[in-house]
Amino acid sequence: MKHPLLEVRHINAFARDKQILYDISCVFEQGKITVLMGPNGSGKSTLAHVLMGDPKYKIIRAEKEGIVLNGKDITYASPDVRAKMGLFLSFQSPVAIPGVSVKELLHAFYHNQKTAKKESLSVFYARIRSISKKLRIDATLLTRSIHEEFSGGERKKIELLQALIMKPKFVIFDEIDTGVDIDALQLIAGGIIELQKEHIGIILITHSERIFRYINVDRVLVIARGRIVKDGTRAAIKQIIRKGFENY
Amino acid sequence: MIKKNSIPGQNVYGFHTKETSVYKAGKGLDRSVVEEISKQKNEPKWMQQFRLDSFELFLKKPMPSWGPDLSGIDLNTLCYYLKPVKNIQSKWKNLPKSILETYERIGVPEAEKKFLSGVSAQYESEVVYKSIQKTLSKKGVIFVSMDDGLKQYPEIIKHYLGSIIPPQDNKFAALNSSVWSGGTLLYVPKNVKVDLPLQAYFRINAENLGQFERTLIIADEGSFVHYIEGCTAPIYSTDSLHAGVVEVFVKKGARVRYSTVQNWSTNVYNLVTKRAKVEEEGVMEWVDGNIGSKLTMKYPSTILAGYKARGEVLSVSYAGKNQLQDTGAKMIHLAPDTTSRIIAKSICQKGGRASFRGYVRIGKNAKNAKSSVSCQSLLLDKTSRADTYPSMEILNHEVEATHEATVSRIEDDQLFYLQSRGIPKDMAESMIVNGFIEPIVKELPLEYAVELNKLIAFQMEDRVG
Repeated sequence: MKHPLLEVRHINAFARDKQILYDISCVFEQGKITVLMGPNGSGKSTLAHVLMGDPKYKIIRAEKEGIVLNGKDITYASPDVRAKMGLFLSFQSPVAIPGVSVKELLHAFYHNQKTAKKESLSVFYARIRSISKKLRIDATLLTRSIHEEFSGGERKKIELLQALIMKPKFVIFDEIDTGVDIDALQLIAGGIIELQKEHIGIILITHSERIFRYINVDRVLVIARGRIVKDGTRAAIKQIIRKGFENY
Repeated sequence: MIKKNSIPGQNVYGFHTKETSVYKAGKGLDRSVVEEISKQKNEPKWMQQFRLDSFELFLKKPMPSWGPDLSGIDLNTLCYYLKPVKNIQSKWKNLPKSILETYERIGVPEAEKKFLSGVSAQYESEVVYKSIQKTLSKKGVIFVSMDDGLKQYPEIIKHYLGSIIPPQDNKFAALNSSVWSGGTLLYVPKNVKVDLPLQAYFRINAENLGQFERTLIIADEGSFVHYIEGCTAPIYSTDSLHAGVVEVFVKKGARVRYSTVQNWSTNVYNLVTKRAKVEEEGVMEWVDGNIGSKLTMKYPSTILAGYKARGEVLSVSYAGKNQLQDTGAKMIHLAPDTTSRIIAKSICQKGGRASFRGYVRIGKNAKNAKSSVSCQSLLLDKTSRADTYPSMEILNHEVEATHEATVSRIEDDQLFYLQSRGIPKDMAESMIVNGFIEPIVKELPLEYAVELNKLIAFQMEDRVG
């Protein structure tokens, strides 16, 4: 059986009336790590949000084009529907939600799952405990309002924790490696590798080469001025590190 | 079948079917009605006089014009007293369908449901009440209806009634003082701590939660009690006006917590006067939830009369379609080292409106007084509205007083975040709302907290759909 794909076909995206993405097309495979690089403001985060269905962005597509997940057109699906179909976005700067704890959020996720072989609640909680331990997340953090007064490292770890718990088909990491210390970076890289082992497709948006010390990248996409300007291999990273994005 | 024009039981919360016409009987208020009420109740002469004097004040007092529009209240068409009728019970099936559905959907506790249904209610509540009574009376706690209280402990009532909220306080306090019926008398002796929250609905039978209930709570030195008024089930009423008066006396070193979950049906004007007087090192806490009613005007007040007295108001309101929640709090600091805290949260949706009125007065003698007021509103759509009317009067310089007010909307980013975790939009909205009121809800006993959350979620869903 073929593995599900995340396909993007000729997408144009607008924030209010300003066009941000121009005719984006690419295909992501499960089990592969794709790195998305590009200068600030090039549209990387916008692409991540567009894939997840952020209503802030308007999508205009040509006939029969759009975003297709596992053969299903999700171009105009709501974010919760996309999540249920196996998409996950790890936010660059996740918003705080006062009074809603990490635990409550995970609990709500659990109850909204509609898979045939749902694990029991106690297994689910046991998994939360063991993954938290692995990521060195303090148990008290889980009872606090999500992302409210969390440190940079805590935020990233909580995003990764959710990805590991929710086991989607594709995870988009929007700068998961930004602003974290070396210990946290290693833990995060470990988590990404684990996801890959479980055959989850990974789209990694990053600005720094630090994380490449720990993970093997299958493919590199470069976005500039809202367009995909390069679709290459790991070698492209070295070039970018040397020369920056000037050539794009 | 309930016969037409019969009085379908003044029992429980005054449920009745549409075709019955209780409130049409004995409309309007004059001196003779007040005299009749007193006579029916076999009251002592002084109480009758108190009622009649109050009635005169009621006539003289103008309608309050400083706040919400009260022109929808027609005082001449109200029925001011219904003699409790025994042996007529409202039946579960006679309740309006919408109310029944609401019970089912918010999962009113079985005991409360049966009680509210009026079927097994009187029996069951009496059983529960009697067992509570037994424990309480061993400790010397008095927990009776005001009407029974007047018969059994007239000296207590004569001493305290109207001493914090005199009839001349406002038009509706005068009205209540002249026609009051039902309510609670609660006395806790020195150093007695009542562990269980005392819930009014277990005490009440016939004339519970009447239109004009009157409650008196006296916590003697070093005592503690938590009193809960109302219940989270919607209270259906064809009456258009409810004007209660509550007076709380917190003696030296005592602590009283008074929790309310107000859920009148949305045709009701709910105008309530509540005030507490706190002596040295005493603590008064009001936890006030307002979900129902067409218009509520309620500003629990605390007079901090003794050294180191403390007052707190935690208030949460929900205003949906055609609702105005005009709530707030007053803190009057009269003694040194007194502290007060007001935390108010409101949620408005579908054109609902919430107003917060906070008044803090720190008198000349209240050196080192501390006061903080925080008021936050959450608007769920663009048609709703929240206003804040803070006011502070500070008459000495050694004071610490803070005030903050914010109005916010549910952020699209918050909804997107939760939805991206597989949570549908409506559930995400209610999670954010519940998170918003969480600091207050967690102060309620667990079952009430759970229900309040469910209730608000239900109201939101109902009004969206």
